[in-house]
Amino acid sequence: MWWWIPLRSLWRNRRRALLSIAVIGLGTAISFFVLGFVDSSRASIQVSTVQEYANLQIASPDLWNDTADGYDYLIPPEDASRIETIVTADPAYAGSTQQLQFAGLLAAGNQTQVVSATAIAPENGVLDFADLVTDGRALAASDAASVVVGRSLADRLAVSVGDVVTLTVTTVAGAYNASPFRIVGIYRFTSEQFESQVLFVPLPFAQLLLATGGVDRIVVSLSRLGETDPAKARITGALAAAGLRYDPRSWDELSPFYRQLSSYFDALFGFLTLAVSVLVFFIILQVLTLAFLERTREIGTLRALGTTRGEVFRLFFTESVWLAVVGSAAGIGVGLLLGLVFNAVGIEWRPPGTIEPVRLAVTLAFATAIVPFGVSLVATLLSALFPSIQASRLSVVDALRVD
Amino acid sequence: MVEATGRFCHIHGERFLEAQALTKTYKVGTQDVYALRGVDFTASQGDFVVINGPSGSGKTTFLNLIAVIDRPTSGEVLIEGTPTSRQSERQLAILRKTKIGLVFQSFNLIPVLSAAENVEYPLLLLDVPKRERRERVGALLNEVGLSTLANRRPNELSGGQRQRVAIARALVSAPKIVLADEPTANLDSETGGAVMDLMRRLNQEHCVTFIIVTHDPAVSGYAKRRVRIHDGTLKEGATDVVVDSAS
Repeated sequence: MWWWIPLRSLWRNRRRALLSIAVIGLGTAISFFVLGFVDSSRASIQVSTVQEYANLQIASPDLWNDTADGYDYLIPPEDASRIETIVTADPAYAGSTQQLQFAGLLAAGNQTQVVSATAIAPENGVLDFADLVTDGRALAASDAASVVVGRSLADRLAVSVGDVVTLTVTTVAGAYNASPFRIVGIYRFTSEQFESQVLFVPLPFAQLLLATGGVDRIVVSLSRLGETDPAKARITGALAAAGLRYDPRSWDELSPFYRQLSSYFDALFGFLTLAVSVLVFFIILQVLTLAFLERTREIGTLRALGTTRGEVFRLFFTESVWLAVVGSAAGIGVGLLLGLVFNAVGIEWRPPGTIEPVRLAVTLAFATAIVPFGVSLVATLLSALFPSIQASRLSVVDALRVD
Repeated sequence: MVEATGRFCHIHGERFLEAQALTKTYKVGTQDVYALRGVDFTASQGDFVVINGPSGSGKTTFLNLIAVIDRPTSGEVLIEGTPTSRQSERQLAILRKTKIGLVFQSFNLIPVLSAAENVEYPLLLLDVPKRERRERVGALLNEVGLSTLANRRPNELSGGQRQRVAIARALVSAPKIVLADEPTANLDSETGGAVMDLMRRLNQEHCVTFIIVTHDPAVSGYAKRRVRIHDGTLKEGATDVVVDSAS
């Protein structure tokens, strides 16, 4: 009785029930679609961020906090070796490499550009950026004075594969040093700023140029993205136990852009969901209040026949449960359809500061549907509470007097 | 003591309902307006009481009070000797669903339920098993002559048929008393007569007490006992003597 009488009441007032379902459904569909879009965008940014930073980077706190004098933050070779032994032992370990990042001036003809050089271990497979190279080739283990530059930088300096450029740096001891480098490859990346500033050189030659045997970070790749935080905790503990004063940082900590964008996405989705929920709440509140008001005499009859207040509340609240469940489910269905159409159309957008247009997509997953479904359900049920309580508290005599 | 022997019950005067000095006032502005003035009333098992009176005389107020859907300003309603004025809303609801059947002037059937489901509703409240519900509903619909219309919705029934459904609904939980408020007011005289015949017959066969308030003089003809209500006071029988009243 407690479920079929409310269902019958809804069926009898089909127009009003459909209006309620449409409002709840629309709210759910919007939330689902936006969350799917946010999830998809976040996932794509995660991929490119991990591509840029790997899962973890271990370095001196002085490097992370920018508190070092000169190259004081460099990790001596013996420490680098001990760190690599520790990370290799982690169950989520997939690979690691040593890197050395330094600033320099890159000159080609009469053009000079401030650059950020990243010295990598070529052919290591971990953050060697080999798959970004679109022209020429990636750095090879046998390379010495070879460089891979970004397309934007190559355009600015008007250089191409095979050209020779000169990189001037300050050595660890503070002296100037310079060397000619042959461009062996040109890479492309999503960020124009990255392309125009970052170049890759082989680590052994960079160490020679800077007159050091040290590196500034150990880059760690893990088997799964989800392993990042647990692995970070394990490695932090192991480093401390070994007396090594180095800190691991995860990819999301290393990318201020990702953090900002992620916060923005959370705020966007949160605000939109809140706005939609408030709208659904007030519309459903209004619809149910009117609907229950029209049924005052029926409520009086139910109470006169011996239906308790609790039972009246249950009957009317169950109607709202039906509305909430059907409306939210319909909303997920509509959102799913919208998402399928959106993904099929394949809309592209070029975010500011990026080179390649991004294909906009909506994640259509069960997990993505849970929050919008739950939020709509809760908003509808909350909006039903007041009219249901009001219906159950009506005076029997007053209710029976209403025509 | 009530016995149903054959098709008719023999009443031995067991008191079921008692109203003691019932007063009901309503506030109109700053003034108290009396709807009932210290009314005393007793109904025994098997009674068929018709309370007659003009509009505004306090008939419905009196019925609402003895049906325990309203509370008196002062006085007491006793059901089977138990005072009701201090009972909670929940206790009164249980009292209504177990002991009192109600018939309304406008039938007050639940529009989304069929005739059979309307009759079944009080049994659902009492958690009566499904099989027993079916049997009792079927028997009562048969008794009120509506077994062929069991699946019709109220809006597919005539006024007389609706009132018969309402009577079946009032009787299905085997209450000791049925209270009817102007049961013939929305019916033509022929249909009204049929409804009254039905109630009288059910009173005879089921030993159920009927208290009917009406302003229709024709209904009084069916009464075993007549009571007149005027200006919030009751007068027993055809005489104009006020049985009890408060100033």
